[in-house]
Amino acid sequence: MVDIIYEKDLRPMKYHVLTGLRQDQAVRAIARWFNVRVQPMRKFLIERLDMSDMENMPARWEVAEAAPETDPLEAALGARRFTRNIPLFTEEEMARALEAARAAGDEGAGKTLLKEVIIG
Amino acid sequence: MKKTVDVAMPIGPVHPCWKEPVRIKCETKGEKVLGAEVEMGYMKKGIERIMQGRPWQEVMFLAERVCGICSIVHNMVFTETMEEISGIVPPERAAFLRVVANELDRMQSHLIANFSYCYTIEHETLAMYLLNERETVMDMIELLTGNRVNTAYMIPGGVRYDLREEDAETMRNNLDRLEKNLRRYTKMFDGGPLIALRSRGIGVLTKEEALEAHAVGPTGRASGIPADCRSNHPTYQKLGFEPIVRTEGDNYARIMVRFDELMQSIGLIRRALAMMPEGPVRGGGECKGGEARYSGEAPRGELTYFIRTDRYGRVEEIAIQTPSIMNIDACAHYMLTEVNSLADVTSTFISSDPCIACNER
Repeated sequence: MVDIIYEKDLRPMKYHVLTGLRQDQAVRAIARWFNVRVQPMRKFLIERLDMSDMENMPARWEVAEAAPETDPLEAALGARRFTRNIPLFTEEEMARALEAARAAGDEGAGKTLLKEVIIG
Repeated sequence: MKKTVDVAMPIGPVHPCWKEPVRIKCETKGEKVLGAEVEMGYMKKGIERIMQGRPWQEVMFLAERVCGICSIVHNMVFTETMEEISGIVPPERAAFLRVVANELDRMQSHLIANFSYCYTIEHETLAMYLLNERETVMDMIELLTGNRVNTAYMIPGGVRYDLREEDAETMRNNLDRLEKNLRRYTKMFDGGPLIALRSRGIGVLTKEEALEAHAVGPTGRASGIPADCRSNHPTYQKLGFEPIVRTEGDNYARIMVRFDELMQSIGLIRRALAMMPEGPVRGGGECKGGEARYSGEAPRGELTYFIRTDRYGRVEEIAIQTPSIMNIDACAHYMLTEVNSLADVTSTFISSDPCIACNER
């Protein structure tokens, strides 16, 4: 049986990258955005991003902060921020989330709330 | 994100075209590359952690050991960050000497970057010509600083050594010869049909993608982003600096930006030598406590230091954002996406002038 020499478990090294000073600030900002704890967020980032993405996360986060999205719903979900700037989700995953959020606004909780305001 | 692929082709960590170990996993479908993933961790130094808690006098020497190619600019940006924290202004002659050292550093870095690219596309003649010219620049660095690589030339409040008039004259003569030779090599690269075949329209990074990944330096400027930290530097403003920008965003544009910047550096050094007033080169000053974020233009792009020091000048916290962090990311996730041939992966990667030592720190 021949082993692949350079095929390694990258999780410890990725964790080191994520706990760097600036990377840690970015991870905490993302965790605050989704209102989740830092450690599950780190685990998710390690699964989804490669090392180059992780190293560049603070700069990409700053770019996203400097150019806010115009559509309020997309801005609230971070549609561009978390697909293009920090590729945490695929375009399809984000499209599904946007669709669900819009449906909630059109048919669900949002409309019910407005109806209550109208009826009094 | 994983895709449906024929073969996941790993390139590296040991590869004849790589100067440093890095592994790129290319997801291919036939000859086409769908995407790439970067694996690092073969040379992580943890230098930021080593710096923490040490006095600035020690950190200054560690800073230039982040990278062997652009050690002078690490020295310069660290020094200028400490000066910003402490409110120290270097003497004017020292400020001009810093520009000379920084531009010589840029020249040798650009020459080795273009050498690597030419070597990767198998144009060894031009590659060797460029490497030979780099030796002239390295000699000039030695003439100015006394060392070839880790020079520790700049210190808060000035520079260590003055430049004698006879050495400045030697430098001017060398620059004349370099300029003549580099014009010839630029023409060789610009007009080479086989070079064009491997370079034009290959590894395109659009302006939008470059902005998204925050691509910097020649990589960003070759994609139409006119960002250069030298534009905001007071000494460069006196020298009338203007950034060089191209819009093609391909391998050819990135190499040509570096060739053009070599000429620009020659001009900047000449003007700095001409405008340099007489006077002291070490003004003194005391490094104090405080916090600053400061960026300088390294050969590969924007280099940023975040430093917090205590009142004795000890470094409490430090983070270094090197240009290769952004450029390798831009290369791996945009330039290497939808590349038509696996053979173009190495040349595209090298065209972004990646520095793994900087990236991993």
